[in-house]
Amino acid sequence: MRELFLDEGLEDRVLDDLRHLWESKMMQSKAMEDFRKNNINSSNFVLQLPANYSQTDQEVTGQLYKVNVPVVVTQAAAGQQPVSQPTQKVPEWKETPAPQSVAVPQNTTHQQEVEPSPVSAASVTQPAHPKANLPPGQENNPPQKPHVPAVETSQLQGAHSPETEVALEENEPSPHPEPVNLSMTASASSQLLDFQICTEETFTQAAQLKTRDIDDILKEVIEEERVKAERARSLAPAKTDNQAEGVLGLDLDYNYSELSDIVQLDGPADNSDIEEEEGVPLEENDFLGIINAEAIKALQEGDESSNSISSSSDSEGVDELANVEEEDPLNSGDDVIEQDIPDLFDTDNVIVCQYDKIHRSKNRWKFHLKDGVMCYGGRDYVFSKAVGEAEW
Amino acid sequence: MDSSNDDALDIIITNVVATFRTRCHLNLRTIALEGINVIYKPELGKVLMKLRKPKITASIWSSGKIICTGATSEDEAKLGARRLARCLQKLGFKVRFSAFKVVNVLAVCSMPFAVHLIDFTKNNRPIASYEPELHPAAMYRIKHLKATVQVFSTGSVTVTGPNVQNVATAVEQIYPLLFECQKPLCKS
Repeated sequence: MRELFLDEGLEDRVLDDLRHLWESKMMQSKAMEDFRKNNINSSNFVLQLPANYSQTDQEVTGQLYKVNVPVVVTQAAAGQQPVSQPTQKVPEWKETPAPQSVAVPQNTTHQQEVEPSPVSAASVTQPAHPKANLPPGQENNPPQKPHVPAVETSQLQGAHSPETEVALEENEPSPHPEPVNLSMTASASSQLLDFQICTEETFTQAAQLKTRDIDDILKEVIEEERVKAERARSLAPAKTDNQAEGVLGLDLDYNYSELSDIVQLDGPADNSDIEEEEGVPLEENDFLGIINAEAIKALQEGDESSNSISSSSDSEGVDELANVEEEDPLNSGDDVIEQDIPDLFDTDNVIVCQYDKIHRSKNRWKFHLKDGVMCYGGRDYVFSKAVGEAEW
Repeated sequence: MDSSNDDALDIIITNVVATFRTRCHLNLRTIALEGINVIYKPELGKVLMKLRKPKITASIWSSGKIICTGATSEDEAKLGARRLARCLQKLGFKVRFSAFKVVNVLAVCSMPFAVHLIDFTKNNRPIASYEPELHPAAMYRIKHLKATVQVFSTGSVTVTGPNVQNVATAVEQIYPLLFECQKPLCKS
């Protein structure tokens, strides 16, 4: 627990600093409340923000990322290489809007970028296809490019990054480096995690990009992402071979459900155990501060595997679900009787003390207590040492 | 059915161990602070929760895996497990009762005769093993049932197996072998 707290503490410090910056500019965005939930992962968000926003408000980007935080955490554990790829695209974008601020961070990010470049090339083909399908919907302003792709990539962490990137590409067809960037982001859906590496550097860059009204951008991004999510969903079941995409699609579903109450039709909500399954990932998110990233990942992988199985073959999924269903119905109290006996022990006799030794053998307990006060039979007592025995 | 003799042998199940999963992460600290009849063991990373009604002790891990011990029958084990899951549900966790499986059943049986362990071991050389300096009972493993039988010279027998049916079958199988090596009879 201490380790977890320490981790939270460390992250909190960084987050607090970022928050101060954000809050000063939060007036425009209303998403602040939603983001506060993901304080734990705010460090991840912060990192992502600078990468995505070379010249935008750090606060704004942070907000956008917050939504994706849960997804980011899990993916980060999985793959770190692809993360470096998105950083490449960030520096590239930055070049166009603000060379000054960009220069400094780019140097640091370039190191990471070099490695993913070959990987990104391979993924170019995928984004090429979705490009045609993606709806344009957005202006082709250069400042938008980095902003939008950053927002979208951040939000669609695990989910079809290629699709999201494609949308970005559509927004900015002219720039040549864009397709390269998009491919990179696509291949590295989990790359968002890499943003963490360049967090500090990206902050300066993000501050530079502030040409737009954040609210408008957010709205546009959300709309695009929704469309993409729908496509992702349609693509996810179609591509049974590519479980990674399906998984990403599922993750995307998570994000979307959080963003805009869209009812999930696939993924965790695929089968009759919808309510419980949806509750599980939400529950996991709540415990993010306590649960390790690996634990979350393990849980999600379990859910994802079950989801992918169900999506891939209905028969198999049905069988598995059938077994689960047979076991599941706890019937909230119908069959399972609660224990009423313990209520008898709620008396007013209370002892508040320290213990030297507490021992138990089967159901025989022995207490060696010290420095205590107790209220027994309506009378108060104080003791420096007390020995007791009890049977449970 | 319990014995090949006219007298029925009483097989008394003393312990049934079962495991199940809650399919959700459990915060052990919350359970330890708010649960009733719980023992927190942070050094081992688990919480013990004892139930009174089916006398059951459950080890709860943060991963959601729970091992339930102390039941006296398979049904009781399942009932206790469900009660336990219900308790966790009341504490606020989104518990799903899944993958319930009885892992081990321990039963004792008493033969109406004493057994000569050395002869018994000699007759069943590879399958039975007896090391009096280590343990006073001869151990007989039935591979195809995955059951282990420990025979004491007094005629008491303890059987452990994956389920009650296997345990009963094991007792049936071993009875004739033990009958051959009764103490008053084949005393060499």
